[in-house]
Amino acid sequence: MRQWYRIVFPKNYLDRRKRAGFLFVLPALLFFGSVFILPLAQSVMYSFYKIAPGGAREFVGLRLYEKVLTDSTFWAAVGNTVQLLLFSVPTTVICALAVALGLNRIGNLKWRNVWASMYFVPFATSLVAAALVWQWIYEPVYGFLNYALSLVGIPPQKWLQSLVEVRPAIAAVSVWVRIGFDTMIFLAALQTIPEEYYEAATIDGANAVQRLRYITLPMLNPQIIMVCILELIFNFKIFDQVYATTQGGPAGASQTVIMLLYDTAFKYFRFGDASVMAVFVFVALMAVTLLQWRIFRKPVEY
Amino acid sequence: MANLPQARRVLNNRFRWLLTLAVACGAIMVFFPFFWMAVTSLKTAPEIQRVPLQIAPDNWLNFANYFEVFKRQPFLRYLLNSALVASIAAVSSVVVSSLAGFGFAKYQFPGRDVLFLAVIGILMVPFQSVVVPLYVWMNDLGLLDTYAGIVAPDLVSVFGVFLMRHAIETIPNDYIDAARIDGGSELGIFFSVILPSVKPAIATLLIIKFMWSWNEFFWPMVVTSSPQMKVVTLGLMSFTNMYFIEYNLLTAAAVLSILPILLIFITLQRWVVQAVVMSGLKG
Repeated sequence: MRQWYRIVFPKNYLDRRKRAGFLFVLPALLFFGSVFILPLAQSVMYSFYKIAPGGAREFVGLRLYEKVLTDSTFWAAVGNTVQLLLFSVPTTVICALAVALGLNRIGNLKWRNVWASMYFVPFATSLVAAALVWQWIYEPVYGFLNYALSLVGIPPQKWLQSLVEVRPAIAAVSVWVRIGFDTMIFLAALQTIPEEYYEAATIDGANAVQRLRYITLPMLNPQIIMVCILELIFNFKIFDQVYATTQGGPAGASQTVIMLLYDTAFKYFRFGDASVMAVFVFVALMAVTLLQWRIFRKPVEY
Repeated sequence: MANLPQARRVLNNRFRWLLTLAVACGAIMVFFPFFWMAVTSLKTAPEIQRVPLQIAPDNWLNFANYFEVFKRQPFLRYLLNSALVASIAAVSSVVVSSLAGFGFAKYQFPGRDVLFLAVIGILMVPFQSVVVPLYVWMNDLGLLDTYAGIVAPDLVSVFGVFLMRHAIETIPNDYIDAARIDGGSELGIFFSVILPSVKPAIATLLIIKFMWSWNEFFWPMVVTSSPQMKVVTLGLMSFTNMYFIEYNLLTAAAVLSILPILLIFITLQRWVVQAVVMSGLKG
């Protein structure tokens, strides 16, 4: 407390310097406090109140939690979101790792940059534009995908209009957007692995698979964990792609948690219910992140 | 990419060709949707409904769809709205983040490390968890459907503070002390010593923040309601709000929405890659 008093009322030059430092970080702190911390607290508060469209509030305790968490629509949305995750997260991470390993071995620097850029470009586009272009590719009658499949004798599929195919189809868009980002992270990390490790392993008679298993993957462990967490968060919050294409359809087959939150809040203006979902999303992501961090964070030492 | 060192273990057998082939095939597949989008935007409505599908447009210089996009919707307005919002977000992010980065990197004040950890912890708060209270705030402040409302939550990002602190940490303390002995004020040092030394980080943050803000969709949709306040991602959606989607127009609009960001991205790719790698290596 005394330290803080001296910052507010500085006695000497060093106090003034500390005050200057604090004043430099103050705008950012105020911003994050008012855009994230305070609203988060408010979200928690709203989740205990029934709010009428006029603004009148009534404290209802845990009733809204009971209502939302026993609602089958909500759990269906959670289920869809998890299914999307299970399609897209492993696919993205594995593909990105494979691409990074491949790119790392391409000797011609100029060509490597060209190929790397091509993987990276989707990252720069908006999810809405990406999803809409894919919707055109998925178009059942005139779309390119069914045309390409017809060349190898596969009958046309309904893709985004099919109850079964809609989730993998949307997950593919997420993979397409994110693959370049993950590849760049892996590629940068690969460049930092000392060459001596591979030389030593080769002298000891390790083959390519063993080098990958015992050197490359352990050395990439921190990046793999981080990318998995980032992808999990990104895909759990999936909204733009779904909203732009299927709007949750057909028959709710691609309804996701954030879609439901958006509809509840801004279509039906049930802020209380939406806040329960907001708290759920926050707690779920926090729990998964911490859990993943604890389980997979194995220190690697050489 | 641009500044990564030469690959060290170069395969010297036939696998090298197979590998290059696999990498190239993947790259072409990933790039294909862009090609398909551009090609579709040059076709007429009857052309895209041709069976069997024809890849090349009849006329490679048919830009009628682009003119039609501007005629159907105030698309130029959408592009300008996005440019305005993204520019404000990028500049304000650089100003606030570099100030905060300087404070966190070079000053000792009580609670500094705890506060920095708290800022990093903000990354754990999904925007969707705070969107309802933010909407209520904007409503109370009368900022719904205004530029200020669109840009407000986008003004600073945690990544920016992290990036600037990281960059400023590498400036030797001697430089700062020398400027102090010369009688510079703390804010004066920020402008005369700190900012000129972290130009690459500033460029990186400007670009990545502009890009993120340009591609933003969720919040602008929540906060705007009138057509003239739409940003370009929302403007794209207005080509789908019909019973039958005219994909030749939609793809032309998509090209227009992607093009500015793509040009920035291709010319300044080095900085973008740096930002991504930074966000990756902090883990």
